[in-house]
Amino acid sequence: MARDLAIDLGTANTLVYMKGKGIVLNEPSVIALNRQTGEVLATGREAWQMIGRTPGYIVAVRPLRGGAITDFEITERMIRLLLQRVGVSRFTRPKVVICVPSAITEVERRAVTDAARRAGAADAQLIEQPMAAAIGADLPIDEPIGNMVIDIGGGTSETAVISLGGIVALEAVRVGSFDIDASIQAYVRREHGIAIGERTAEEVKVAIGSAAETEDESQAEVRGRDLMTGLPKTVVLTPEEIRFAIDDVISSIIASVVRCLAKAPPELAQDFLVRGMYLVGGGGLLRGLAQRIEKETQVPVRMSNMPLEAVVMGAGHCIEHYDALKGMFMGARR
Amino acid sequence: MIYVVVAVAVTIVIVIGVILSKGGSRQEPGVVSFRKHIDALSPESRREVMDRVRPAPRDDDFDEKPKG
Repeated sequence: MARDLAIDLGTANTLVYMKGKGIVLNEPSVIALNRQTGEVLATGREAWQMIGRTPGYIVAVRPLRGGAITDFEITERMIRLLLQRVGVSRFTRPKVVICVPSAITEVERRAVTDAARRAGAADAQLIEQPMAAAIGADLPIDEPIGNMVIDIGGGTSETAVISLGGIVALEAVRVGSFDIDASIQAYVRREHGIAIGERTAEEVKVAIGSAAETEDESQAEVRGRDLMTGLPKTVVLTPEEIRFAIDDVISSIIASVVRCLAKAPPELAQDFLVRGMYLVGGGGLLRGLAQRIEKETQVPVRMSNMPLEAVVMGAGHCIEHYDALKGMFMGARR
Repeated sequence: MIYVVVAVAVTIVIVIGVILSKGGSRQEPGVVSFRKHIDALSPESRREVMDRVRPAPRDDDFDEKPKG
């Protein structure tokens, strides 16, 4: 008998929660393929290490962009491999709950559920990421009070107001931490004339990236390819430069938080001033982001205890209480 | 004759009773499922998952872990 599963199919990382067991898989959403034969060569962490470092016949790709499937076939293969790795076979077909961005289209929804069913799931249901995040962040969403959650993922940023087990207001933008990396790449190319890879850009973000000035700031040496000479070159980047480079992305995320606040009914809006907003997702770990959101919205911002795992924990709770919570799934009649 | 009248009256009362009880129970699933939904979201109900995940190991052997 298969154990039912909850999957946080993120643009950056994929996490799998198994009913009765907990998180059984947590790794990057990357797959490496042989370009000529189409064979899968590696998935997850191993494939992530190959990004930008492969010979011509290998391609390491992220099949999800902006939380949506960009390549249906590759995503299906990735889900199939994920399910195999957690013990699903053709004889054991579990129920699966998958977390997806709330802004996905009907076509994308069908693509995700079809991919899961073809990969071996007996039934595939979808749940909105901010709702799953609020459950996983342990917010009192069963009470008639305003709970606000900001989920900043790799490809999407979503803000939701939740009360009495349902979403009251929601704002989503297809902007996330990969866009921060891309902004750093573009800035270094434009201002310093060197090309850097997406992994290097991510390392720069983790090392010195910030959304607001912080106390202990340092510079970072970055190595890339000089666009003029083609030779390897090293440049030094400052935190101010990175803040400037990523400002458009950060402003776009904060603007969506403000729009969500504006949508909230006044009775719930007053709760935010006391209870604050909760930040989840890997993008929320960017230094100074909580302070900047707090400064621009005048609402306290708190970090969730387990920001990277909150979404899959919420979906995991739904799989543990499948019958009672099936009304929360996307497309369910409430 | 009187027996027929009594039988008809009893039948009518039973039919009305059945209709009323069905009408009442039609309201019940909404209330019951909402209650179940809210109870399933309570902190006590979530404790099990939280406790199960909290000690889960983060991949310490992987020092270059990407973040979303």
